[in-house]
Amino acid sequence: MSPRIKRFFGGLLRVVVLTLFLLAVVLPIYWMAITSFKTNPEIINAQRLTYWPEIFTTENYIALFRLFNYGELLKNSLVVSASTGICVTLLSILGGYGLARYKFRGKDAMLLFFLVTQMIPGILVIIPLYVILSQMGLINTHVGLFIYYLIANLPFCVITMRSFFERIPYSLEEAARVDGCTKYQSLWRIVLPIMFPGIVAVFVFAFIGAWNELIAGTIFISTAEKWTIPVGLKSLIGKYNVQWGVLMAGGVLALLPTAIMFACMQKFVVEGLTAGAVKE
Amino acid sequence: MKKRLLCTLMTALLALFVFSGCAATRPAQQEEATPAKDSSSAEEAAGTETEESAAAAAGEISLRFIDVSPSPARQEYFTSIFQNFEKETGISVAYESVPWDEAANKLTVLGAANQLPDVMTTWAGWLGQFTSANWVLPIDSYIAGTEDQYTEVVTKITWKSEQELYGGIYTVPDGMMVKGVYVRKDWAEEAGLDLDPDAGWTYEEYFDAVRRMTDTAQKRYGISYRGARGAFDPLLVYLEGFNGGKLYADDGSILINSGECLEGFKTWTGIYMDGYAPKDSVNWGFTEMVDNFTGGLTATLINDSEVAPTCQENMEDGSWMVMPMPKSIDGKIYNTVNAPYSYSISTHSQNPDAAWLLIEFLTRPDNNIEYCRMGGLIPIKKDVANDPTYGEDGPYSAFVKQLNDPGLVVPCAFGPFDFTDMHQGMLHEEVQKYLLGQQDAETALNNICDELEARMKQYLEDNSGSAVEQPKSLS
Amino acid sequence: MFKLILYLLGLAVIVALAIKLMGPRLNNRTKMGLEPYLFILPVLTLLVLLFGYPLLNSFIMAFENYKLTAPNDIYFNGADNFKKLFSDRDIGLVIKNSFIYVITAVSGQFLLGMTLALALRKKFPGRGLYQSIVFLPWAFSAFVIGIMFRWSFNGEYGVVNDLLLKLGAIKEQIAWLGTPGLSLLVVILAMIWMGVPFFAIMYLAALQSIPADIYEAADIDGCGVIRKFFLITIPYIKPTIIMTLLLRTIWIFNSFDLIVVITGGGPASSSQTLPSYMYTRAFASYDFGLASALGILLIAMLGLYSVVFLSATKYNKAGDF
Repeated sequence: MSPRIKRFFGGLLRVVVLTLFLLAVVLPIYWMAITSFKTNPEIINAQRLTYWPEIFTTENYIALFRLFNYGELLKNSLVVSASTGICVTLLSILGGYGLARYKFRGKDAMLLFFLVTQMIPGILVIIPLYVILSQMGLINTHVGLFIYYLIANLPFCVITMRSFFERIPYSLEEAARVDGCTKYQSLWRIVLPIMFPGIVAVFVFAFIGAWNELIAGTIFISTAEKWTIPVGLKSLIGKYNVQWGVLMAGGVLALLPTAIMFACMQKFVVEGLTAGAVKE
Repeated sequence: MKKRLLCTLMTALLALFVFSGCAATRPAQQEEATPAKDSSSAEEAAGTETEESAAAAAGEISLRFIDVSPSPARQEYFTSIFQNFEKETGISVAYESVPWDEAANKLTVLGAANQLPDVMTTWAGWLGQFTSANWVLPIDSYIAGTEDQYTEVVTKITWKSEQELYGGIYTVPDGMMVKGVYVRKDWAEEAGLDLDPDAGWTYEEYFDAVRRMTDTAQKRYGISYRGARGAFDPLLVYLEGFNGGKLYADDGSILINSGECLEGFKTWTGIYMDGYAPKDSVNWGFTEMVDNFTGGLTATLINDSEVAPTCQENMEDGSWMVMPMPKSIDGKIYNTVNAPYSYSISTHSQNPDAAWLLIEFLTRPDNNIEYCRMGGLIPIKKDVANDPTYGEDGPYSAFVKQLNDPGLVVPCAFGPFDFTDMHQGMLHEEVQKYLLGQQDAETALNNICDELEARMKQYLEDNSGSAVEQPKSLS
Repeated sequence: MFKLILYLLGLAVIVALAIKLMGPRLNNRTKMGLEPYLFILPVLTLLVLLFGYPLLNSFIMAFENYKLTAPNDIYFNGADNFKKLFSDRDIGLVIKNSFIYVITAVSGQFLLGMTLALALRKKFPGRGLYQSIVFLPWAFSAFVIGIMFRWSFNGEYGVVNDLLLKLGAIKEQIAWLGTPGLSLLVVILAMIWMGVPFFAIMYLAALQSIPADIYEAADIDGCGVIRKFFLITIPYIKPTIIMTLLLRTIWIFNSFDLIVVITGGGPASSSQTLPSYMYTRAFASYDFGLASALGILLIAMLGLYSVVFLSATKYNKAGDF
């Protein structure tokens, strides 16, 4: 087969694969979105399934804001997730750099310890942490929740950050030192700018980790004004009755901030994360 | 040498902190075992005196209240009620809430951390655990002298049952619920069935109706069959009907594994096996059951009065009706009566008297009727039980009639012992295995019965002087 | 309160000592002063502090009869909790489900994620927009995904059955959530849908860092596409592959929120895995001893898996992630 034909089939295959993936992602999201515009009786109607609402209504979205205080939920989620993202990123830069650049004997043990923290079932951590936080008076505060999200997302982000650092050859920093920079200046001026895409990626992962978490949100927060979005959505599932339309509307809206962040981030991660391929 | 010294030093420090860490939690657990039980006896007057004495003592008391089934309507209701309460007594109340699905876990964590709020809304099924873990305060002394204000359902059934099971009264119901059978009136008429709520029906007639209303060509099934968690609850009531409402004999041996009951078990599950329920329903929980009835897939649904508002919202008037629970072979209606979210006082409360004042306020007739109307419940105080909302024409009439029926018998619960793990597991899983053909009916029923019997006998042994619960009725 | 501060200080001291002990050096040459502590100490202290106590506590509780319903009856009971665990009728099924669940879900995500990453490698018009959309499943909360799948796969009014019937692929409605085997499949599908973006993003980033000239050299040598893939691409991103597989396996093994929401473990425990079992049985019955025993079991299994996996894939020789 000539190279031309090979390339043609290769391209065709790519298009097919990309289309399939797109459909697999878009169809469920479409289904969710379309449901959020239906009235509840139409949604649970067992006799007929409609692919486009018979009665197109925005009542679910209105109810979401008026009755269920979505604005408040949104604000809470943003505050907690943003602070988690920022702190986790900062700490991972420090930790990742330290782990990447320094050699010491306990390195493997440390890695294993980080992994073990991921293996502990969440509930076994949450209960003792609840006791500690309540002694510190941090229950029903966003600070308490933030602390949990911090330690929950830190191990993965540190490991990831470390790998990004390792792709950047030390010679870059050495060159900067030769030019007269101190260690911190070389870190700040040379390394971090190259690392920027990686930093953004880690921030987004940490943000999403906090944004979508449910269990700690219910345990550490007691009053409804301080709920985050997932907890608020969960309250739509009552003992006998599920407000499907409002639930789907809430799910769709909860998607928007993260979707926007993804849109921005993917540009960096994909096009920019060639830091390690810097040629010398 | 230096390194080894450092190592041992580190290990010693680590060990020290392990033990101090453990010690920190242990005493806390034991402290809660001595709750404010003593103070409750001193304030007997509180129940009869008005709020004036309380206001004098209130000063700066603030209470925590947790709602285990929040919704915008409930939140609004409670917030305004608490404001009124504060105006009258000067005690402020903080409204906490947790979504129903997470409520059990949240209370577990709070309990383990000795942080339960002053007043909790409790589901009756948790009482067994709460009492053994010593998390709720007995309120007999608070109630003493005021029993007359409450309907007979509350005094003769709820409270009597609590006394028998747990040795004291622990909750004040927020409203009463009783089960009924929601039926598609239009399908029944089409099938030529004549259903009269006043006359009632027997289980045979009920099963017959289910069969006749099933029409798979039109995508109609006779019953919202409950296959997942809670599957054994209605089945238990049905089987207990063969034994006068009893589950155990006086010595603790179980009664529902008799030949007659085995046949009943097969009849009940036969409804599913013979295709009168959707195949999926072997794993249906509450949500699917209700959704499928209101969505037009099934013809009947056994459920509490709480579902009535949902039906009103999502279904056309006139398409549905409520029948009382079927009568058993002895002509009596066996039905469970309970309150969805009873009020209880936790043993972690620093102000149990103030907490009682709040409960009293919430259950005052004028407040209670408003609450019940909102939630589709039957009021607990005599003064308002005859409110027009619950009159003949409303959907609640079938429920109210059952509550006033002398032929109503409340069968026994699973037992005073902790059965949560069974309820989360084997009670429905054994039945599912039978429905899926993985084991036969006798094995399924025996597995469940053997375990229940073992636990009951163990309980009787451990608690000498206790007796097996008896069925209750109003007469 | 005072005890807590003491605990904090003590732990910080231990961690500092530990680091001193390890004698960090920069690139094997000079011994550094306080510098390394500045970088590593915050992270390490936080993690050891807040994970250390629960970990130790769980370890101890696993060997105790610790039931919240009997608060005065806490005593050391050896391996009784573990015996109780293994004598449960369904434990074999639950463990089997755990393995099926993890292996299928991880393989599915890995293969699909890799495919997607390879397909996205070359630039094409609209790639940015495409990427913003196709990575969205990761941005959903597990709870919302669970609800959506539970509802879509409902045997009677679910959209999946409706579509399949309309397309003629099946004649009769399938009771997805009511059939053992199928219910687990639905959970696996949900997990795969959610997790593909994670692998895709990671691999895409890793693929970007492979220098182009290597491929050119291979082309000159006459390598075919397949050989290029296995001899160049895979070895280059091997560290990434290893780490993502390891982490994702651990996360999935420990996850139960999808299971609890979609099937509740049913029917008849056919979709119950170890973590969901812990959640519904041990935790719900206030038996913390049993729950901790199960937790320790999970950690042991995952720890063993990690060690075996890392050494089998010769992680250390492959360089770092």
